[in-house]
Amino acid sequence: MNCEAVRGDLSLFLYGELSVEEEQALQDHVEGCQGCRKALEAEKALHELLEARELEPSPELLVGCRRELALRLKLAAAARPSGWLAWLRETFSGGLGLAGALRRPATAVALVALGFVAARWTSPRPPVAAPDQGGGEGVISRVRYVQPDPSGRVQIVLEETRQRVLTGRPEEEPIQRLLLAAAREANDPGLRVESVEILRQRSQSEGVRQALLEALQHDPNAGVRLKALEGLKAFAGEPEVRDALASALLRDQNPGVRIQAIDLLTQAKQQEAIVGVLQELLGREDNNYIRLRCQRALQDMNASVGTF
Amino acid sequence: MDSDSSSGIEEAALIRAAQNGDQGAFEQLVRAYDRTVLRLAMNLLRSPEDAHDVYQETFLRVYKNLRSFRSDSNFHTWLYRIVTNVCLDHLRKRKTRREEPAVTATSDGPRDRLEGVPEERAEGDPQRALISRQLGARIQAVLAELTPRERMVFELRHYQGLRLRMIGDALGTTEEAAKTCLFRATQKMRAALGEFV
Repeated sequence: MNCEAVRGDLSLFLYGELSVEEEQALQDHVEGCQGCRKALEAEKALHELLEARELEPSPELLVGCRRELALRLKLAAAARPSGWLAWLRETFSGGLGLAGALRRPATAVALVALGFVAARWTSPRPPVAAPDQGGGEGVISRVRYVQPDPSGRVQIVLEETRQRVLTGRPEEEPIQRLLLAAAREANDPGLRVESVEILRQRSQSEGVRQALLEALQHDPNAGVRLKALEGLKAFAGEPEVRDALASALLRDQNPGVRIQAIDLLTQAKQQEAIVGVLQELLGREDNNYIRLRCQRALQDMNASVGTF
Repeated sequence: MDSDSSSGIEEAALIRAAQNGDQGAFEQLVRAYDRTVLRLAMNLLRSPEDAHDVYQETFLRVYKNLRSFRSDSNFHTWLYRIVTNVCLDHLRKRKTRREEPAVTATSDGPRDRLEGVPEERAEGDPQRALISRQLGARIQAVLAELTPRERMVFELRHYQGLRLRMIGDALGTTEEAAKTCLFRATQKMRAALGEFV
């Protein structure tokens, strides 16, 4: 073992990550080489220096983390799917896995049915309505594949995007389906705002309500989240909506969304369910106005403004 | 994350109960590991806010995916896989945003953002305190220069004391690859901190 190899391995030696043979060879070399002995001492000193920089989280941080997690777990437990969705999850996450499930005819039938439903709901991507240019329809083509054949002809595969204008009432099934898809269109916040604005007036539909909940919890645009909140107003007493509102109250970065969430939560029935959330918020909220609203809401409920 | 064989049996029972929806069992599992998770996040990200976020995200992921955890797997490794992924995401985002350096410049020289970093040895000796601060700043600077993966391997080996084989498992790579990462990380450390030793 030469000096270069030894110095390359010094750190691994100190971590105890060399094999017995490698370790022995290194030690043999170091015993007879003053330069490498010094290098080993320097390496040990470096390890000690780094040791001193280890951080221990404060007990307050740990307690704060545990408290928030307990709250978020409560929300997550309340939002856990029930009924057929829970059954499906149970079936496919168990020891049998997908292949095992397929061996069971009843499950396989359910899977086919699920695939059919999923295909109806998830594909194709919504054709985004373009202004009618007078011709009614426009086609955008893109060449995807070119294949010459021996006769001198060429086969070309074109991918075509057809633009269509659809008109109808928002509650009609194809229109609503397209609106729901547009409300999830990742690249166009303007399109999402407009779609959610139309959908929010139809939140009595379960599909629409789910889309609004999804927008409230995951849309990166605060304008979309606020529109979704308006749409959920009438359902603030429902457990699923209440949990989403509580989560927005604690996590949303936008004060407007948090204020709106307080309003809806405090207007709903079963207010005692949100006391913990309001107390938690009070402990971490920087916005004075929100703190004030929160305090007032707790006082109105005859609840303490602190947590114990 | 220490566990012996008897606690391993107990842990398996807790996992089964938690998989069946027992919230109390899940909480016990959290309590068994959460200090380690928080310490890892704190040392890697050197920010209590980020460590707090990593804690939440890690255990919520565990909660959501616990049903898919197989009893023949090692929970310890599975949890490390989750927390290292969450931390790596944070480190990568931080690299992209180039935000919030852990060390900030002040009129007294560079300072660690974290008040309360243990510096007992320097207490009462201004000269040593200054050197300690300079050293802290240098360590932060070199840590920030490591790739997220090098940083992770270094943290897991040096501060968490994990063997390279387990680090490889947690990161979904080989022991050899983890060894290479550790080698590069310590090389950079040596180059940056040589004058202090």
